[in-house]
Amino acid sequence: MDPKDGDDDEFGFSRNYFLAKEIGGSVKKSSHKLSDINLVDEEELREATAGIASKHEKEMASLLNSYKNLYSKWLLELRCGFSLLMYGFGSKKALLEDFASTALTEFSVVVINGYLQPINIKHAVIAIADVLWDQLKEKRRTPNKIQQPFNSQSMEDLLSFLDGPHAKESDCFIYVVVHNIDGPGLRDSESQQYLARIASCSQVRLVVSIDHVNAPLLWDKKMVHTQFKWCWYHVPTYAPYKVEGVFFPLILANSGTAQSAKTAIIVLQSLTPNAQSLFKVIAEYQIANSDEEGLPMNKLYMMCRERFLVSSQVTLNSHLTEFKDHELVKTRRSADGQDCFYIPLASEALEKLLQELG
Amino acid sequence: MSPSPSPDSPPIISDNAENHLQPFFVLHKAIPKKRERKQPTPAKTRRKIDLSPASSKSVESRDEEGDDHRYEQLRIEAFDLIWSKIEAAIKDVLRRINTDLFSDVHRWVAESFNAIKSSTTFNISDVKRPYPMETDKISKQLFTAFILTRNVEFVDDLLTFGELSAHLKSHDFHVANLSSADFNVKNGVGGCLRSLLRQLIMVTVDTADIAILAAWYSEAENYDIPIVVIIDDTERCNGTILAEFIIMLSEWVVKIPFILVMGVATTVDAPQKLLRSKALQHLQTCLFTLGSPLEKMDAIIEGVLVKSNFGFYFGYKVAVFLRNYFLRHDGTITSFIRALKIACVKHFAMEPLSFLGKGIFDEDSQGFWNDKCSLLSEAMLNYAFDLPSCKREILSERTSDILAQGLSKLERLQKNWSSVVMCLYEAGKFHKIQLLDIFCEVLDPDFLELRASDYISGEGKNFAKTSSTNDRLLDGENFTLKKGTFTAQAVHKIRDLPMASLFQLLKIWEKHTEKMAEINHKVKELQLALKVEDDVKSLKRKDPGVQGMSMSRSRLNVVKRSAANDEAALLAQNMVRDYLTPVECTAFHEVVCFKNADILQSALIGDPRRTIQVDLLQSHTYLHCSCCCKGGNGLLPSMHDTSIMYNLAQEHGDLINLHDWYQSFKQTLSSNTKSKHKKQQSPVSKKKKATHVPAGIDEASIQARFCRAVTELQITGLLRMPSKRRPDYVQRIAFGL
Repeated sequence: MDPKDGDDDEFGFSRNYFLAKEIGGSVKKSSHKLSDINLVDEEELREATAGIASKHEKEMASLLNSYKNLYSKWLLELRCGFSLLMYGFGSKKALLEDFASTALTEFSVVVINGYLQPINIKHAVIAIADVLWDQLKEKRRTPNKIQQPFNSQSMEDLLSFLDGPHAKESDCFIYVVVHNIDGPGLRDSESQQYLARIASCSQVRLVVSIDHVNAPLLWDKKMVHTQFKWCWYHVPTYAPYKVEGVFFPLILANSGTAQSAKTAIIVLQSLTPNAQSLFKVIAEYQIANSDEEGLPMNKLYMMCRERFLVSSQVTLNSHLTEFKDHELVKTRRSADGQDCFYIPLASEALEKLLQELG
Repeated sequence: MSPSPSPDSPPIISDNAENHLQPFFVLHKAIPKKRERKQPTPAKTRRKIDLSPASSKSVESRDEEGDDHRYEQLRIEAFDLIWSKIEAAIKDVLRRINTDLFSDVHRWVAESFNAIKSSTTFNISDVKRPYPMETDKISKQLFTAFILTRNVEFVDDLLTFGELSAHLKSHDFHVANLSSADFNVKNGVGGCLRSLLRQLIMVTVDTADIAILAAWYSEAENYDIPIVVIIDDTERCNGTILAEFIIMLSEWVVKIPFILVMGVATTVDAPQKLLRSKALQHLQTCLFTLGSPLEKMDAIIEGVLVKSNFGFYFGYKVAVFLRNYFLRHDGTITSFIRALKIACVKHFAMEPLSFLGKGIFDEDSQGFWNDKCSLLSEAMLNYAFDLPSCKREILSERTSDILAQGLSKLERLQKNWSSVVMCLYEAGKFHKIQLLDIFCEVLDPDFLELRASDYISGEGKNFAKTSSTNDRLLDGENFTLKKGTFTAQAVHKIRDLPMASLFQLLKIWEKHTEKMAEINHKVKELQLALKVEDDVKSLKRKDPGVQGMSMSRSRLNVVKRSAANDEAALLAQNMVRDYLTPVECTAFHEVVCFKNADILQSALIGDPRRTIQVDLLQSHTYLHCSCCCKGGNGLLPSMHDTSIMYNLAQEHGDLINLHDWYQSFKQTLSSNTKSKHKKQQSPVSKKKKATHVPAGIDEASIQARFCRAVTELQITGLLRMPSKRRPDYVQRIAFGL
């Protein structure tokens, strides 16, 4: 923590940044396209992804085992009022759940999967409160008044229940394991504020993992020092992020034209036959006149009327709005100032699409 | 404490696929069975530890396990006791710092309340009326205290405002604490009001209405007491909502005597910038100022780490780390306290004998240690005598008595050390030296070694008395106190002190050295000498015959003063020499002293940005596999895929062409150990080489592995995905460690 070191670090950091920028600028940018790779079909890719053989299984298992010696320390620190924060490369899901199911058997454990997108913190808090309630009931230390159902209580009430002076003894904790507290489902500041307040409740102890290098930016000093009270542990596992990465798109899968044509078909099939025919009109026109900006509004209306697809401008507009909403059709202005409709797909993809549409 | 998991069994991986996709689930509920096990009585401990070593091997090993558990329990108990004492001491210190301010605020609140009462015709029946009375502007004034925290880190003051609230509550005022979270746009002014109602009336309402508060206030037991609303972090509040809130309170102040207390972290004019003039005109302000963080820090060091003896000490490295962490990294007292607690937990978790530190609190600490040490198992005793600090000293025997005596000695030395540090600090105060600095300096074990060598090279213990060494000492250079050190500065300062200050200093010294008879006696002697000197001087001043010799008298005076000052400085130096033994230089100090700054640092400040990159760049150092270490710095196909990818990414600029990256990845995977991949190769040249893929590596599987590695890098936040504008490039986020 020498001050000079700090300055050097900072200097080095910025220098690296500019060096990297320079490399990007001076060396002529590689113009290779992703499509130059002979990409395999998406289904095949997904299959292959599921069947990737893992390397170093033995070493990873022994690394994971080596952390078992720390369990008693972790428990002690939790008991002393700290929250545990696990970081390091590799999925820590198995590690955390193993810790919870071997060292925390005497306590109730609630797991929150932060890597999932939709997480309602309040529901999680209700679940935690329910578990605590059951635990208190078992120990016959419930307050006399009849508890109203937690579902109808406000967040403030729930938190104050969790923060209640129910038991001085240490055996009345609820341990909350949060996988990826920096995950997409919990990344917003409101969730983090609530999590911080949960962490500061007297009856709750937190064990969390982070994976993002900038995760600490989620918290201010109040949260870090007075609410979360982190005790950091560097526990790289190198385990694949199987569950955590399940909702991430495969980078080599969705960039091809096939992908967008496929989604377009799915959307089109759910529309009325008239709407489909209208789409065909635009598509056919676009294939025939690929050098034009697109199909102008008045021309489109004329063509559709001729084929008895629409009876009025209003119906046409409603169809077009739907197309635009699904990004099937876009508009751009032609040279003479008219708004033209076009489909944001390449000609070959469009032809394939028309074939499939029948 | 924990059910010891067998080291060989692989971790249980819950294979419940459903749970993986639940936002949350209950993993398991508490099994309430081990309650009996959790009561290891001291008697039990004693019996078990007493067990004779003659028992069979299996019993022994089981016993050892049991012993471990009991020692752990003892350590936990000791931690609980010691930390609760430290925590109480910290709270006490912080409260004491603010006592004056709190009573000032209390007085001001009482005065303001009287002013409100006298300016309006206060009537209990009026309060119930649905609308505020029509009143003139003067009675709409809201008495407001701005408390300048002199600390931008509002986190330190949360505790202060909490204490203030408790202080005012203890004087039977109604108090509510609001924070910036209550003043947000989403909830509007209703949010603050709801919070107010929650705290004062203990009800949760959907539609917040101040009339509810009015009704509550008109109840006999609540009436005629001011309502103090404390907002701790004014600058962070939403200005519009705060202004609305103030206007609302000011309209009701004639009925409900609201008094505002606002914490201001930056400057006095911050509220002016934040609030509209319409709200500002209702405030009748009064200023209070809190102590600065450094003052608080010194008070904590003094009260907790120097003056009191808690059976838990720091080593030099830890102290320096904490000091730097406070001064350069975080700057908050709160984080310092957290660091202190982590250090304490780590110490009790790591040091098997740490529970002995508890003995300091025992009335008969020597007895406690004798008692406890005699119960220690053989292994523990051996451990104690194998401590590095013991190896330095030649101990004749390895008995529990020696250990107990060692601990008593340590306690005694530590007490003296504290007294001397306090004396130095008092002297250093004239030089505006922070206690934190002195504290760190005198913990340095080299500090003692330097001094010891100097001491030996000197002329024995009486060397201070000989005039030559006396001069040398007064010179302040040749003595251990290296010029520029805080200790040297403090001692040096004594020589320049004016008489009155010196007198004052000696008085304080007398108090601090009460338990050090020899030093105390010398301090008293000095005081006496100083008094005589002073008397002589005043006598001379009274004597008109000396008037004419004013010149020579003043010279005499100077000489005299410097003699007295030198004496005091010499005493200080002697104290430093004889009593300032750093804790790390005493035998058995490991039992009560935490020295591992690295562990503390890693627990306190995780550095994910750097560490995760290191994990990726040097995966083989963690995995300890035989296959990947051979390659040196080169990349081997056996390495972790993501690790290979991240290493390859280092060769690119801020943008990585996906095609090139893929090709170089493919090439690395297909290269065997003989044709070592060279890092310097540019991605383009690699691509050319990789035109033919050896059989056995399936294109689909390489692409799948590439995809997964990219996803993993995306999860770690080291990559940004291709944008629409640049579909063939990903962006690097981190450059260098």
